[in-house]
Amino acid sequence: MTRRINEIALDDILPEVFAHEKTPRSDVWRTKLQLRRGEKYLVESASGGGKSSLAAFLTGCRRDYEGSIEFNGENIRSLGIADWQEIRRSHIAFLPQELGLFPELSAFDNIMLKARLMPSPDVAKAEEWMKRLSVDARRDYPAGKLSIGQQQRVALIRSLCQPFDFILLDEPVSHLDEANNRMAAAIVEEEAARQDAGIIVFSVGNPLLIANPVKLSL
Amino acid sequence: MNLISKLLRKNTSRARIAGFALSDFIGLLIVAGAVMFYFDSRGIFGNDDSVVNSDFLVINKKVTSASTLGDRESTRFSANDIARLKAQPWVRRVGEFSSSGFRVYASVDAGGRGMETALFFESVPDGFVDVSGADWNYAEGDETLPVIISKDYLALYNFGFAGSAGLPQLSEQLISGIPLDLYMRSDDGSRTMRMKGRIAGFSNRLNTVLVPDAFMRYANSRLGSGTPEAPSRLIVDVSSPGDVAIERYLSDNGLEVAGDKSASQAAYLLKVVLAIVIAVGAIITLLSFFVLMLSISLLMEKNRATMHRLLMLGTPLEAIERPYRLMIVWGGMAAWLLSAVALVVLRVLYQPALEGFGVGAQGILYALLVGGVLTAVIIVANIFAVRSKVKGAWAMKME
Repeated sequence: MTRRINEIALDDILPEVFAHEKTPRSDVWRTKLQLRRGEKYLVESASGGGKSSLAAFLTGCRRDYEGSIEFNGENIRSLGIADWQEIRRSHIAFLPQELGLFPELSAFDNIMLKARLMPSPDVAKAEEWMKRLSVDARRDYPAGKLSIGQQQRVALIRSLCQPFDFILLDEPVSHLDEANNRMAAAIVEEEAARQDAGIIVFSVGNPLLIANPVKLSL
Repeated sequence: MNLISKLLRKNTSRARIAGFALSDFIGLLIVAGAVMFYFDSRGIFGNDDSVVNSDFLVINKKVTSASTLGDRESTRFSANDIARLKAQPWVRRVGEFSSSGFRVYASVDAGGRGMETALFFESVPDGFVDVSGADWNYAEGDETLPVIISKDYLALYNFGFAGSAGLPQLSEQLISGIPLDLYMRSDDGSRTMRMKGRIAGFSNRLNTVLVPDAFMRYANSRLGSGTPEAPSRLIVDVSSPGDVAIERYLSDNGLEVAGDKSASQAAYLLKVVLAIVIAVGAIITLLSFFVLMLSISLLMEKNRATMHRLLMLGTPLEAIERPYRLMIVWGGMAAWLLSAVALVVLRVLYQPALEGFGVGAQGILYALLVGGVLTAVIIVANIFAVRSKVKGAWAMKME
């Protein structure tokens, strides 16, 4: 996939685990939904509503759903491993709920691990974000020794260190105070605007405070 | 070391990789060493006779008192005998000896001291004689006849006759250069032929005077009695000359083998021993392959979550496979190089014992090639296993 993903279309999708249950009222499951690049979406759900499943479907981790998901009109079931690796590097940035940091690496190395997969990593920008999110003092600490809130900020910065058409953030600020939440939102919005990308934030209660998102309930 | 390698090499057991390299080294050394020894020693056992292949046996029936008393048919092979022999599983093909049905006299003019002897000729089908076509040929009208004689005849002359008769000893080269005058006549003396003879080779295994089959047919038609006789000797191409089944068949049927069989039996025994050694080496190599596969699999299993996280970041599969591939390639190459060094040492150690047999560098080249091929197979198979493990981590459900 070399051109930018302008639209993610969900058509009648439902996780297979929900197939034998009564489908709850939802703006996502069993409907037609278009997510457009440049827009901001806040997907709210109760715990167990399937938000992490949706994130896994959109990042190629899982295929156990009914219905179809299309990127620019192409069904993503036809994508192979190499396609997905390319999408993860250049089209869809993803911050998973469990963060996926490497505890033995320093905060900075965790960020650089991702940044160095890109042809021209912007180290200065990453350091600036660390400063704005107040994790610069912990730059060389092993990630495993940081607080959950600090880990969340490091993982957020890491997810921003790549070109993307959409950024998917699964509960990115669940352990942040309001000040850090606002700073994180500002950074995400700036970078998404700079890259003319879409933002999709998942939340079960403490949402990232981005301005005027399209709200969707799972 | 880059960050990805640092993460993926976590949990590496140096002892396990060293265990693989050691067992692979031992396996390769045994297989390649046996291959090297086979090619180096082949010259000793295989090339005892430049005229007749060592897989050929010359057999005849035992001469008994009855045959001496006139029953010459008792030493001849009937069509039935030959058919029965051909049916044996160890027989590839059977050739019949044709005898001359006429008288032969040969004379040599050695520096004015002439020497004449009565002689006989035999022939076997051309496919059984290992002398190149141009040297082993006869066409009607040719004035020179190529002849192969037994080495024993030359030894009898040199060490028995020449000394007592005050004649000079002759080397193979010298006698090959001396023209023989051949005089042949029919039994009744009515038809005669004169030709020049030329020694085309010497044989340890054919105790006869051999001429090309084409000449024998021609001369028998011209000088012979006209009734072809059943052969009294056969040349048999066998699949494994040391096979005990051959020995048993021959003794059960009152047959004898001409010439020295010990070389071909030793060669056969050597082949059997080397085959066993190669099999043992191959098993050790195979086990080392599994040691490596298990070590890498275990390591990758321990690092599965790490691989999955790296893949989630978009890390290319190649970058994740690289540290494991390097481990496999370096481990395999180290074992191969060590075994190559050990082979050279081994060869230096046993070479004095083989000196004088004209052992070339061929053996070590084949050995290195075999070692290289085995190493390549181990490396490639493990690289495939690594790829499938990485794909497994890709497909892993999110934690």
